[in-house]
Amino acid sequence: MMQVISQNTREKMKGLRYSGFGVYIQGIKSSLASRMAYRGDFIMSMFIMMIVELGGPVITLIIYNNGASFPGWGVYEVLLLQGIFLLSRGISFPFFMGIVWNTISRVQEGTFDLLLIKPRSILLMSIASAFDSEDLGKLIGGILVFGIAMKNLPAQPLHNWITFFIFFIFSILLMFAFGLFMAGLGIVWIGNYRIYDIFMTVMEFGMYPKSIFTKSFQTITTYIIPISLLASYPASALLGKPNTNVLLALASAIVFFLAGLWFYFRMVANYTSSGG
Amino acid sequence: MIHVSELKKTFTTYERGGTFREALISLFVRKKKTVNAVKGISFDIEEGELVGFLGPNGAGKSTTIKILTGIMHPTSGEVDIMGYTPWKNRRKYVENIGAVFGQKSQLLWDIPPLDAFNLNQSIYRIPSNEFKKTVSEMVEMLALKDLVKKPTRQLSLGERMKCEFIMAMLHKPRVVFLDEPTIGLDVIAKEKIREFILEQNKKGTTFILTTHDLEDVEHLAKRVIVINHGEIVYDDSMDKLRNYFGEKKTIHLTTRKKIMLPKHEGIAVRSQLSDYDIEVVIDLSQIKLNEFIKKVNEESVISDMSIEGLELEYIIKDLYQV
Repeated sequence: MMQVISQNTREKMKGLRYSGFGVYIQGIKSSLASRMAYRGDFIMSMFIMMIVELGGPVITLIIYNNGASFPGWGVYEVLLLQGIFLLSRGISFPFFMGIVWNTISRVQEGTFDLLLIKPRSILLMSIASAFDSEDLGKLIGGILVFGIAMKNLPAQPLHNWITFFIFFIFSILLMFAFGLFMAGLGIVWIGNYRIYDIFMTVMEFGMYPKSIFTKSFQTITTYIIPISLLASYPASALLGKPNTNVLLALASAIVFFLAGLWFYFRMVANYTSSGG
Repeated sequence: MIHVSELKKTFTTYERGGTFREALISLFVRKKKTVNAVKGISFDIEEGELVGFLGPNGAGKSTTIKILTGIMHPTSGEVDIMGYTPWKNRRKYVENIGAVFGQKSQLLWDIPPLDAFNLNQSIYRIPSNEFKKTVSEMVEMLALKDLVKKPTRQLSLGERMKCEFIMAMLHKPRVVFLDEPTIGLDVIAKEKIREFILEQNKKGTTFILTTHDLEDVEHLAKRVIVINHGEIVYDDSMDKLRNYFGEKKTIHLTTRKKIMLPKHEGIAVRSQLSDYDIEVVIDLSQIKLNEFIKKVNEESVISDMSIEGLELEYIIKDLYQV
């Protein structure tokens, strides 16, 4: 009986290894091994990234220590929001946002072709070959800020946590959509790394409570480029603060994600039909 | 196995101009330019063939290879490789092909080739036993031993190229595209790689070799396709290519007196180092070899001489100038 179970488990493990997820894990292992070849750089770059990412929360602390505030938000509430923002970046940047740099540089160097001769989805290959351990510093920073904020806030009921997790999944989905748009642009707009800078600037607005912006700007950041979903909505959900037009905001994120997928594959089709 | 019919590829590019003024103008107004990279080429390749696919830079060679590997869509035409249309069934199709690009590495710079092989094992879904067997066979064949466990950056160019071959052939592809596979390698590494290609070809793998190294072509290809200006200008066996200009010989002569060549049809000077040292190409259908030698010797007294068949380089150069 035990033998049959272990045989089944082994078969399942083998199946997993050859699945898309298995390829992704193998890609992460290879990238980690590559980065760990330079031990000092591996540790230092993660640490530096964490310090850089803590800049936002530090500014928040300075603002509040000087008597100013974001209306309707206490200092630890804002830190919680920024912790969520960092968590969202900390998951997306190392695990899939590398697709942007990977695509831009590969198209420029002509090595994007090497991914196209692999019998897997080009999206999977682009992500699997782009894991960035340096960005794990963002994740560590996010956990740190989130943990400190939660410790200083009252315990939240379970249903708040559930709503938060749902919003957080949408936050990750949204980051993925941004990645798809930028990678798609990188295919046709050869060597243009400014795409990334523009994105980072736009994304910065997601680090603050939605309510501090004007009504018209809130509309843009909720329904057109739904960056409010990155941290403002999940943080409000966890703190039990009212979120307006939730369903519309979530629908907008889904549309944004689908549009990102469509755009990315459209650009890949352009690449293959024009030859880059 | 490979059927290509009336394959065409047209690009639209923009002219930027060469001067700063033209580059500045091109920021606002760009002139469109249509380039016919491949102009309706057709050929067939049988299973187990080793074909040299040659052409000068910009001839349409790389475009054709990119279409055949499924990377690029053609403008029109048909391609059937093992029952697949590469650009339509890309994922299924590329499971059956391999590619080695001399100037684009599939290895990962900071980790050992073996780790990169493991990544390919997952990508191509190669069963573990088969994977281990193939790796050890190929490592043995290419005399790599434990080098596959050293970081790629510590390997020589030749060792890296050998690993590129293993990477491309782990999944036992039926067709392999080679693009400049021996570029920059020393003679020993070249020889080893050529041996490996011939060995794999004997086992039934079809190879399409794109290169500017004519030694590779001479050692490996039994058939040659030459493409120029997007059209096939030659498609036949290597033997026929050697006799492309009929029966011609290259003669290198050193004489005691100033060289006086006989005034006869079928004699062409290729190069002259001095008044006493010359290289000529003679067409044996127009002048007999002994007659030529006798006449030169009478006039100039031959002190040294070598006779060779026409080099492939000379023939290919002529085809490239068509």
